[in-house]
Amino acid sequence: MIEFRDRARGCLLGLAAGDALGRPAENLTPEEITRRWGRLTELEPGLDGGPAGTDDTEYAIFAASLLRAHGSALTSEDVVAAYREQILPIDGPMKGAGFSELGTVQALRRGLAPPLTGRWHAHGWSDGLAMRAAPYGIFAAGDPDEAARLAAVDGEVSHSGEGIHGGRAVAGAVAAAMTGATPAEVVAAGLAVVPADSWTARSVRAATAIAAGPRRRASEAGPEGHGLAGELHDAVVARHYPWTDLAPEAVALAFAAYVAGGGDVEESAVTAVSLGRDADTTAAIAGALAGAGRGEGGVPERWARAIGPVRGACLPSVAGRDVREVADALVGARTRVRNG
Amino acid sequence: MSSGDRRDRIRGAFTGLAIGDAAGWPAARHRWNLLAPWTRRLGRELDGFAEEHRVTTLPVPFALNQPVAALAVGPSDDAEWLAWTARTLGTDRRAAFEALGEDVRARISVRTALDNLARGVGPPASGHDNPHFFDDAAAVRAVAFGAAHPGEPDPASRAARADAEITNAEDGVHGAGAMAAAIAVAVAGAPAGDVVAAALAELPEGTAIRRAATLALALPGDAFALVPALDATLQDHVYSYGVAAAQTVAVALALTRASGGDLSRAVPAAACLASLADSAPALTGALTGAVTGWTGLPETWRERVRNLDGCCLPDLRGADLVAIADRLSGSGPAGTAHQEGLG
Repeated sequence: MIEFRDRARGCLLGLAAGDALGRPAENLTPEEITRRWGRLTELEPGLDGGPAGTDDTEYAIFAASLLRAHGSALTSEDVVAAYREQILPIDGPMKGAGFSELGTVQALRRGLAPPLTGRWHAHGWSDGLAMRAAPYGIFAAGDPDEAARLAAVDGEVSHSGEGIHGGRAVAGAVAAAMTGATPAEVVAAGLAVVPADSWTARSVRAATAIAAGPRRRASEAGPEGHGLAGELHDAVVARHYPWTDLAPEAVALAFAAYVAGGGDVEESAVTAVSLGRDADTTAAIAGALAGAGRGEGGVPERWARAIGPVRGACLPSVAGRDVREVADALVGARTRVRNG
Repeated sequence: MSSGDRRDRIRGAFTGLAIGDAAGWPAARHRWNLLAPWTRRLGRELDGFAEEHRVTTLPVPFALNQPVAALAVGPSDDAEWLAWTARTLGTDRRAAFEALGEDVRARISVRTALDNLARGVGPPASGHDNPHFFDDAAAVRAVAFGAAHPGEPDPASRAARADAEITNAEDGVHGAGAMAAAIAVAVAGAPAGDVVAAALAELPEGTAIRRAATLALALPGDAFALVPALDATLQDHVYSYGVAAAQTVAVALALTRASGGDLSRAVPAAACLASLADSAPALTGALTGAVTGWTGLPETWRERVRNLDGCCLPDLRGADLVAIADRLSGSGPAGTAHQEGLG
């Protein structure tokens, strides 16, 4: 029996490791990734020699801090206050931030309030909420509806439509994974908290159906004549859009990698990276799902050893925080709710 | 009002859109598509050259060993997509899109919708499962539906929204409804204020397009004076698509009101909004052209934009935009009037 705290640590370590693993492969094609690394299985050192996570880990810590401060009473106004305190004051470039984060910041500076802050910019469908939604699943473990509700409270500030659906799906799926559910049950839990008639649901259904087929690696040919990556790209990638940050696509690829990886942390994250696109985010999501299911011990020891305190490269306010300590704090916040 | 006046206003809507399309700087880029691909590749290299050598002499489209006519001022993508819509108005909209060839050039919303249709994903998902669901591709097409329903903003909007759902969703569909309703009342003789009101009635509260239109319409000043204020009010400059309906439709409405429906004041102002110059001038031109009427538009512009070049829809090369507009203003129901000219 894996303890709750162990799953929480596994979830965030899986997220951080997937983020760091995928960083050098972000926006590369599956073919280019295969050419450069074969299978990318080791965390590459960043500029300072340590393995570099990116915005995914730091913004997930930001989300966890919201839960620590407000618990299930979290409101969009609380989220706005945190943006004003921690993100708006960032001077100069917002490193690592996607268009949705900067668009949200500009909307807030303009004086808009949610939900219009998430609608005013054109990137409401970005995967920026999905990448940071795992803490809501940890906090509301076993209750996918509540996890999705909390993720949507956060997402209403920065996202709209499919971007919120993507965050809800990840939060709901993590909430299920935190109970030891099978990958199929986890995917079903994620789908259950988004409208069946949505881009996110259509993409997740299509991608996970492909991934549930005969197990194979990204470059190994399947029944359609090309590899898992090719089949998944045909099914869920918008060919004529130049960026890779669409939540329906990223969440679908991440869930597919997790299913294809059988819920194993290393296999899920490595598979996600092999699919290319927004590889740090997809591997972070796949790693979070698998880590919640397998616990801290399921995260490869060599990866866990390399994950230390974050540098605050994207979000200075979270510098020095370690995902293990963040996971423990989430457990504490949940315990307070249960006992209160 | 006489049917001659109505015909003049429908011509004005089509020609006004083409004038705005031609007046925005991106038209030259779109028209460059008529030249050989290697020309554009060299152009991309010149962009790098300008950067590397720190020269402010920015490259513009050029013709090397090729016919130069394509690079003259003229209509481009928006005029062609409007003409295509008018020509196919009696066709089932999904079938019309599915009949498009591989060689067309279109906005990201339309390209993605064509992929969705090919995958068996029809409307409204084809427009919804779409990264650029918010763009104004359908708002441009909506000018045809407005012209086909003179004085009937509701049926015009319904038809335009049904067409819009193939390629767009949410603000992209509302923008189409707004343009269709506005054009419907404009071609029936309504003044600029009523045209703007008809458009606003199509924009639901709580949407970005409603918010943007309301803010833009509240700005004081004449059309040219509005340029910096529109830029500051509508654009966050995080990512300027140039074709987001929330911004381009809002600009068109604000400049139509500020100019009193005078195309010669409104379109130049729209063209000055560099980051929105792909289609804000075209939408502005459609509204003010409909209010002004074709005979009131500058003759130099009327003649320059009359014949299409097929830079995005090759089948339209040489098509006469005024003749296409005239088919829409024939007597009888819209579904039959235009068919005289098909084929």
